[in-house]
Amino acid sequence: MRVAHSTVLKQCSGQWIRPNFIDRGEVIPAQVLGAILCTLKNPAQDSQRHKYEEERQIMKFTIERNSLLKTLNHVQSVVERRNTIPILSNVMLEASDDMVAFTATDLDIAVIENTPANVAVKGSITVPAHTLHDIVRKLPDGAEVELSLAEGERLTVKAGRSRFQLACLPKEDFPVMSAGDLPHRFKLMSEELKRLIDKARFAISTEETRYYLNGIYLHVAEGDSGSNLRAVATDGHRLAQVEQEMPDGAMGMPGVILPRKTVGEVRKLVDEFEGGVDISLSDTKVRFTFDSTTVISKLIDGTFPDYTRVIPIGNDKMLEMDCKVFAEAVDRVSTISSDKTRSVKLSMDSDVLTLSVTSPDSGTATEEVVAGYQADALEIGFNSRYLLDILQQIEGDSVQVQLADPQSPTILQDQLDEAALYVLMPMRV
Amino acid sequence: MQQAGIIQKLSERTINRIAAGEVVERPASAVKELVENALDAGATRVDIVLRDGGRELISVSDDGCGMTADELVLAVERHATSKLADEDLVNIATLGFRGEALASIGSVAHLTVTSRARGSDSAWVVQVDGGKGQAVQPAGHGNGTRIEVRDLFYATPARLKFMKTARAEYGQAQDVIKRLAMAYPGAAFTLGDGKRTTFKAPAVGSLAGDARLERLGVILGREFRDNAVEINAEREGLKLTGFAGLPTYSRGTSSQQYLFVNGRPVKDRLLLGAVRGAYQDFLARNRHPVLALFLDVPPDFVDVNVHPAKAEVRFRDAGLVRGLIVSSLRHALSAAGHRASTTVAGAALGAMRPENLGNPLPWSPPGGERTSLPKGLSDASFASQAPYAGQTYDNSQAHFTSSDSLMQPSARPVEAEGDIGGADYPLGTARGQLHATYIVSQIADGLIIVDQHAAHERLVYERMKKALADKKVARQVLLLPEVVELEETSAARLIARAGELEAMGLVVEAFGDGAVVVREVPAMLGDTDIKGLVRDMADELTDMDEALSLKERLGDVCGTMACHGSVRAGRRLSVPEMNALLREMEATPHSGQCNHGRPTYVELKLTDIEKLFGRR
Repeated sequence: MRVAHSTVLKQCSGQWIRPNFIDRGEVIPAQVLGAILCTLKNPAQDSQRHKYEEERQIMKFTIERNSLLKTLNHVQSVVERRNTIPILSNVMLEASDDMVAFTATDLDIAVIENTPANVAVKGSITVPAHTLHDIVRKLPDGAEVELSLAEGERLTVKAGRSRFQLACLPKEDFPVMSAGDLPHRFKLMSEELKRLIDKARFAISTEETRYYLNGIYLHVAEGDSGSNLRAVATDGHRLAQVEQEMPDGAMGMPGVILPRKTVGEVRKLVDEFEGGVDISLSDTKVRFTFDSTTVISKLIDGTFPDYTRVIPIGNDKMLEMDCKVFAEAVDRVSTISSDKTRSVKLSMDSDVLTLSVTSPDSGTATEEVVAGYQADALEIGFNSRYLLDILQQIEGDSVQVQLADPQSPTILQDQLDEAALYVLMPMRV
Repeated sequence: MQQAGIIQKLSERTINRIAAGEVVERPASAVKELVENALDAGATRVDIVLRDGGRELISVSDDGCGMTADELVLAVERHATSKLADEDLVNIATLGFRGEALASIGSVAHLTVTSRARGSDSAWVVQVDGGKGQAVQPAGHGNGTRIEVRDLFYATPARLKFMKTARAEYGQAQDVIKRLAMAYPGAAFTLGDGKRTTFKAPAVGSLAGDARLERLGVILGREFRDNAVEINAEREGLKLTGFAGLPTYSRGTSSQQYLFVNGRPVKDRLLLGAVRGAYQDFLARNRHPVLALFLDVPPDFVDVNVHPAKAEVRFRDAGLVRGLIVSSLRHALSAAGHRASTTVAGAALGAMRPENLGNPLPWSPPGGERTSLPKGLSDASFASQAPYAGQTYDNSQAHFTSSDSLMQPSARPVEAEGDIGGADYPLGTARGQLHATYIVSQIADGLIIVDQHAAHERLVYERMKKALADKKVARQVLLLPEVVELEETSAARLIARAGELEAMGLVVEAFGDGAVVVREVPAMLGDTDIKGLVRDMADELTDMDEALSLKERLGDVCGTMACHGSVRAGRRLSVPEMNALLREMEATPHSGQCNHGRPTYVELKLTDIEKLFGRR
């Protein structure tokens, strides 16, 4: 048997066993062979070896550190820290003409980003996403990063005098998420999408048993002023409903529930892009396309409850007040509540709102705020954290609170933004 | 050839065999019936022999009142009994009453009954084989009755096939005998397999607490005797006595929980639920206390004629019984709130001992190898609650006890009292902190080691719980009421307790048949799995007649907050801080163990420390 000494060594120590080596019919256990060869002197010269490796390159490209980092930032957050399927920890690199595609997935969401790069050898491989991200993050600003892969070797990452070799897994095993047929397509401006997400996501439930509440319900709503695109989220205690003018092409789309993780990924990307976001969806999948980045996600397979029934009509007691003043007062008095319930009591009487908290451990707090209120006196309790969550979403100066009685749902609305509405259930103390 | 569809009256023999299927299910049930008969006959001594797990021979001899020749003939007949005075089954004061046992056993085995009635000068014997009785013959026998059952189930091969191994059947029978022995400390019991005696419980006199504890110690182990608190409560004609293990002396299964109703061992879900409720604050979910409770109720308060083997009973007012059990257990445990299990200190001492073991000191007192026992470890200030803490040997070894007591030093180490200001305090004065984790304090006759985190956590927890109990639980009204599908009976049971649940912050309403709708939840649980919670509670109501999950969830939230809000291990404490902690522990009920049943402090007596150094 005649094999280049270095090749055999690589085969023994690395994780790849070349099939052609085995095909020759030589039956020698790899470890034994390795042990023997290790004792021999390597006959190959360095230069020869270099040349040999050049021939075996299956992928090679260089890319500027900052653009690589930006891309990895976009894709790596999809990758879970701990995985039972090893390849899900990896990001797939596919080098084609002057372009490298980075793909990461957790089987529910896939993020794909194309980045320009100087590609020497076209090819593809998968490497651990978090490790690569951490390395690139720590490289100096402006560095040129070279990623190369020789046959049967690990991925080499070189920048300046740093050199890393990363274990990799073949691209063929990487799960590809196909979007399938997405019949409904429309475009939203990034600010519009941002608004829909921001004003609704705080109310998403984290309780996994009611999985159908673990996301934002995006659907077409028929209103008095025609159809609107509406986003709704609720955790069973409070509800947020935000509307947006109907974009072209959205008419007739099915109501879909965007999972919480997808909402988070999309929200992160929205910040970095301006202009339009292409959204296409079917009743099982959705795709968001920003310039060079695509997010494909499964949708929550469930029925969102008929939330319109719980939005009260005819709450006639109106409280109007300065949103900032209100929020600060709630925050101040809730300092006293040491327990987990964090309840705050609101007492309203002609043009005065009194907030109070009583805690058996730490004492009491009261604050009086001037407010617009003409209806009959009313006392009602709320979870102060829920109240603050909602008040934070209100952009205008003043908030309108529509009340009925201490047991019934209460509506909070931004006086500037009638298209956003929040429903909050009271607490009984 | 039997023709299908024609109704025939079954023969007496078949009837007896069918009845035997219910009453005599396995050797253990035959043993139970026979031993109960012996006890009903007023026996003070019951000797049981089982050969081949009871398959070859079951023999039960007693010194009870015995039977005359005429009675013997009747005794083996079905529905013949001396125990049922009135015929309406209201006042049942004996263990048996149906008059089925002997006839049933006789129909499936070779049965021999030899008996001499008290006051009579001759004994008689009657034999029954597979349901066929023979004439009564004179025999030689002392006072009382001996019953021998040979070849059990020979007449019902189907049942024979379902017999487990001899060892398993023997174990079952032993369990039955132990249960009965707990209820009858006045009678002596022995159980053997024909070659050796495997269980022996000498008679210990009356039903008084001491005798009973003595008997329980023999059956449940000496450690139980040292770690039990006495239960003694009476309410509206119901009397509950018995002994309950301290939370720090807990087990991984609930199999060591015994309830006796009028001396009859019963297995009842009521007991399980009430016990878990009573211990709920002290034990982790997977730990179970050891206890034996004896409930004495007027015979007309309870219906024992519910189960063929009488393993279940029905109370006229189950709520009253549950209330009595929970409140008396809680009461007894609070009184013992500062008694951590002696096994803890015993284990601590045991851990220190091995160095000595290789080189036994020549002046070790007789029985010195027993000194790792937690002798005298429980706090003297609570000794009144532990009448047996000091006595570690049973009657057969009484001479050790007496010789041991001779070795007690005449002088007690009282001189320490002068220089410690905290002699009046049960937990003493802090002397220092070890590894910034443990507080060491000196008391009049020993030292105490406190786990500062566990202790403070418990204090904070107790405070939170009190605050929770003082005010109503704040409820979050649900925007989307949660509909939970349940079995119809479970739903009905849950709705029946709706008032109780509302007090804990959960508002449920009926929602058609077999479903409930949850309208409000305790606000402190936040965004929680309501369906799971309600299902758990429905299951608990079915199993134990008590919905504990909600309370436990609230307790968990308190527990987590208590953990975060308490002094951690590793924090240095000044002497005043340590003393303040000790004083608060003394003032707080249940501060002897943490929320998971682990002790918060360990006490080592000076005498035990002296023993470690071979000074005694």
